[in-house]
Amino acid sequence: MMQVQHQTADAQTPVDAGGPAQVESQALAGLYGLLGRCLEEEIDLGLLRLIRTELRAPLAEVGWQLDADFIERPEEELLAALAEEFTGLFVAPGCVSPYASVFETGCMFREPCDQAIAAYREAGWDYRRCMSGEFPDHVGTMLGFLAALADAELEAANRGDHGAAELARKRRNLFLLEQVGPWVPGWCRRAAENTLLAFYRQLLLFVEQFLWQELAAITDRRRLKELIALNRRKPKRLDYDADFRKASGL
Amino acid sequence: MSDIGHISRRDFIKLGTAVGAAAGALSLGSRRLVAMEADLGGEDFSSTTGAKRESVPYTCLACNIEDGGVAFVENGRIVKLEGNMDHPNTRGKLCAKGNSGFLHVYDPDRIMTPLLRTGSRGEGKWKRISYEEATSMLAKKLREVIDRSSAKHDPAILNEIVFKWGRNRTGGAVARFMHALGSNTMLNHTNICESSKKVGLEPSWGPDIESCDWANTKYIINFGSNVLETAYFMNPNAQRLVDGVVGNKAKLVSFDVRMSNTSGYADEAYYPYPGTDAAIALAMAHVIMNEGLYDAEFVRDWTNVSARQLIEHLKPYTPEFAEQESGVPARDIRRIAHEFATTKPATTFSYRGPCKHVYGAYQEAAIHMLNVITGNVEKKGGYCLPRGMGWPQPEPNPPKGKTPSPIATPPLYPLASHHVSTHTPYMVMNGEAKVSVWMSYYDNPVYTYPSSHVWEHFLKDEKLVPFLVSFSPYMSETTELADLIIPDVTYLERHDPESMPSGLYPCLSIRQPVVKPLGGTQEFRQTLIDVIHKVDPDGSLGIKKYFAFNSVEEWMKAHFDNIPGLKEDGGYDFMKKKGVWPIYGKVDKDTAKLVDGNGNEVEPEYGLHKKELPASDMADAEVDENGTISKDGHAIGVRIDNRNHVGFGTPSRRIELYKEGFKKFGFNPLPVYKRLPSRDKQPDELVLTTYKVNVHTQSRTASIKYLAELYHKNPAWINPGSAEKRGIQDGDLIRVTSKLGHIVTRAHVTEGIHPEVIAISTACGHPAYGRLAQLKQKQAAAEWAQGGDSDIDNNVWWDDRGVHPNPIIRLAVDPIGGSQGWYDTVVTVSKAQSGDEYGDVKVSLEESIKDYNETLRYAYNGDLHRQNHQEVDIDWDDLPKPELHAGGH
Repeated sequence: MMQVQHQTADAQTPVDAGGPAQVESQALAGLYGLLGRCLEEEIDLGLLRLIRTELRAPLAEVGWQLDADFIERPEEELLAALAEEFTGLFVAPGCVSPYASVFETGCMFREPCDQAIAAYREAGWDYRRCMSGEFPDHVGTMLGFLAALADAELEAANRGDHGAAELARKRRNLFLLEQVGPWVPGWCRRAAENTLLAFYRQLLLFVEQFLWQELAAITDRRRLKELIALNRRKPKRLDYDADFRKASGL
Repeated sequence: MSDIGHISRRDFIKLGTAVGAAAGALSLGSRRLVAMEADLGGEDFSSTTGAKRESVPYTCLACNIEDGGVAFVENGRIVKLEGNMDHPNTRGKLCAKGNSGFLHVYDPDRIMTPLLRTGSRGEGKWKRISYEEATSMLAKKLREVIDRSSAKHDPAILNEIVFKWGRNRTGGAVARFMHALGSNTMLNHTNICESSKKVGLEPSWGPDIESCDWANTKYIINFGSNVLETAYFMNPNAQRLVDGVVGNKAKLVSFDVRMSNTSGYADEAYYPYPGTDAAIALAMAHVIMNEGLYDAEFVRDWTNVSARQLIEHLKPYTPEFAEQESGVPARDIRRIAHEFATTKPATTFSYRGPCKHVYGAYQEAAIHMLNVITGNVEKKGGYCLPRGMGWPQPEPNPPKGKTPSPIATPPLYPLASHHVSTHTPYMVMNGEAKVSVWMSYYDNPVYTYPSSHVWEHFLKDEKLVPFLVSFSPYMSETTELADLIIPDVTYLERHDPESMPSGLYPCLSIRQPVVKPLGGTQEFRQTLIDVIHKVDPDGSLGIKKYFAFNSVEEWMKAHFDNIPGLKEDGGYDFMKKKGVWPIYGKVDKDTAKLVDGNGNEVEPEYGLHKKELPASDMADAEVDENGTISKDGHAIGVRIDNRNHVGFGTPSRRIELYKEGFKKFGFNPLPVYKRLPSRDKQPDELVLTTYKVNVHTQSRTASIKYLAELYHKNPAWINPGSAEKRGIQDGDLIRVTSKLGHIVTRAHVTEGIHPEVIAISTACGHPAYGRLAQLKQKQAAAEWAQGGDSDIDNNVWWDDRGVHPNPIIRLAVDPIGGSQGWYDTVVTVSKAQSGDEYGDVKVSLEESIKDYNETLRYAYNGDLHRQNHQEVDIDWDDLPKPELHAGGH
């Protein structure tokens, strides 16, 4: 879970809150926030009702049609089914591990975790887990961080602090490009293949598409091709660190 | 550049040659670079940043040897494990399992949060919950049992709370927990391990197994132990065995049905028929006694038998008889007996080979007797008592439950002091006992027990086991069936006091978190505190006081801060810093011996039984006509030649080769050989044996990638002659069939196995336990979360996860020691049949259940017991009635 530590920008004169940049920031903050929240933990009643009611039409408009099961099933029953799916997909042994460390090294809590927490801290955030077994390099938390940066950009722009807004935008782009882009879209596709409930399958495929759009917007074709190649990678299965093996005397 | 003209490569080489020649003895090059791993136990530095790594001592728990280790930690992560040079028995060495231990911590298949079952039992559907919710849930279930017991005024109901462990190194925490709850139903795994070895020894000389002084011995006979690779105390024993054989020119003679690496290293190796070690040992004793090669003084002073009595008893056990039973030539038995008795000092060592049979306790007692009659007990280079140290339990300590538990101490096995846990499912299915809450800790009977499918059937049945909790951090075959999982941390993240009698230097050691529990996971000890506090929130039940610890550290301090000697050295803080106490000396780099500051060897203490009782102990003590010294109704020593010795841990304080307790139940009080049904198998049958390998435990290491890479398949060893008779070639798919059913595996045709035996290691063949153990990525790629493609293109190069033999191994229990007879199953072996596939397991639950009734026929009130013990002079119609008992021999 993200927790704000301090704000970095100085308060300045507010500017027009309805400018195109602010609109974009606000949209990104909202979307990253929703997606991050859906992936970081189980859906709770509040979020379920939000998706079923206010968000149902907007999601449908962009092509995400919530299925009848999701719409009609009794709330309590659906929440239990979603929690079971979430645990099987992202928590229990044999899951599609949602951690960058596991994807990149085959082990939990490795260097990608350090890189994530370093980025959070640099932007004035820290990490505090809610449940045991959670780490900063969780895909949901990383998307949540992008939401926080978009929000910070918006907030800075709204008060006229263009420097802070620009800094937040740069941080967002950098984080997206370096820590999210190389693995999350591909991971989403693989995770989607393992879903049992339509909601999570749709969610994961939606996140994948969204991230590709975002990545395309901030980088050139060459880098994009590199990212596509990186996302075709399968998660690393064994951590072959030759230096480690040597040091271990094996 | 104009100062130097063009230099050709040839000129450079020429110059180099000249420099080399000119330098002579002068060492050129950098003096800053040193070879990696030149020293153990010192400092360590990051190879990339150069930063010094934090070193934290700990006690290993990759297996049960409890080696001393040091973890090097960088940026909060374990980057390296190595042996603790201060540990006097393991002397800075870890085995492959220990070196790989850090992988347990970062395994992506580790259970990191409590899981609550949402589907049917075993379906694999879960919901994650918090430790807070999980401990509340368990506490509620436990409280329900307590309230029911209280309402019905029946303390026996509390025994429906069951705690079963495979490996419990909590230093008394589990017993504290269970006794606080009022239950005595604690079940260990010892009867599938070495319980009959212990029961073969303990009534004779006191608790636990021998600690051989290998390094100083001159002659070793190994019976059925692969001590260089596995076995109890493998690491320290293997080191000292090598010291003895290489450094002290000791002779090693090994008896094993399989050419283990220990037999391969021996001066002489023999392949006896399975289960005939006692015949060999008794024949050697026969030779030693009849030819006057025994230590008359030791037998007279320190045993409860006379030489004449032994000679009479050993009459039938001639070397020729032993040859007939074992296949080992009589002339070799006679010669080895001579050598063993006349080479001083000498020792035997034995492990699962002899004791894992019906009547395994007799076999162990027969081997033990060889050391006693030759006077090698407690001598330098001989067969020594185990040496451990105790620690106090924090006060107040809860008393035991009020009622004995029928499944913890089955009435038909009054001598089996280490439980008979194999019988539990059968007893509960028969209605002999009831379960309300079953807690499973470091235990995986659905995989590790004989007829393992019976356990699966039992634990899946919600009527028999209404609530099943596992504390495992890994999704084992048993944990898969749990209703609730409250994951413990790994052994590198938790606290325990330790003292293993793994060598001749008694010591205490500590297990402590070398890194913080990963991802906010919670150590088991804290879970116990939380559960008890929720069972008895206001203390009105009177059990909260037993867990009045504000932290796990406070609990540990209570263990370590009040031990005389350690207290003065710093108690808990000393343990945290050094990991082990006392520090006997340093390991000499050349000899690997422990030396003091002056370089002199620190010798262990010998002759523990000869220690004199202090005058304070003798005050008000009584001495009977046999010399046994008693005080307050307890034997405390023995008087021999007017000296008051502490003696051995027996009622007479002598070595009791004659066990009165055995006779009471119709067992022979002296060591005997009993021919087993497997000895009378049909000519086309083979005896199935199992074995451990050096890089795996029974169950917990198959998902550790370094170890899985080293050993991941377990083909059945079969002798070329036996294979040829069946038309089997190396690598062929074969069907191994017992009365219970069959498995389909592959043959490994080798001379290194007895022609009447087929051997399969227990290390592989997991249907659960993580992606690497199961090789799910390959076998069901589409279903397996991490893989989307069966084309494993990088590191998992193997495609064979092995086939586990336990489903076809029959339940057969030693009626004395309670050990499972792992090596008593008779099988047929044939080429695979049409339609057979590698890994097929087809077994009958009904047949396995019949085996329970069959093995009870050997119990002390069974018909086969009487039939097999006609030589015992007792009133067979007046045997003690089966009754609930506290357990013991």
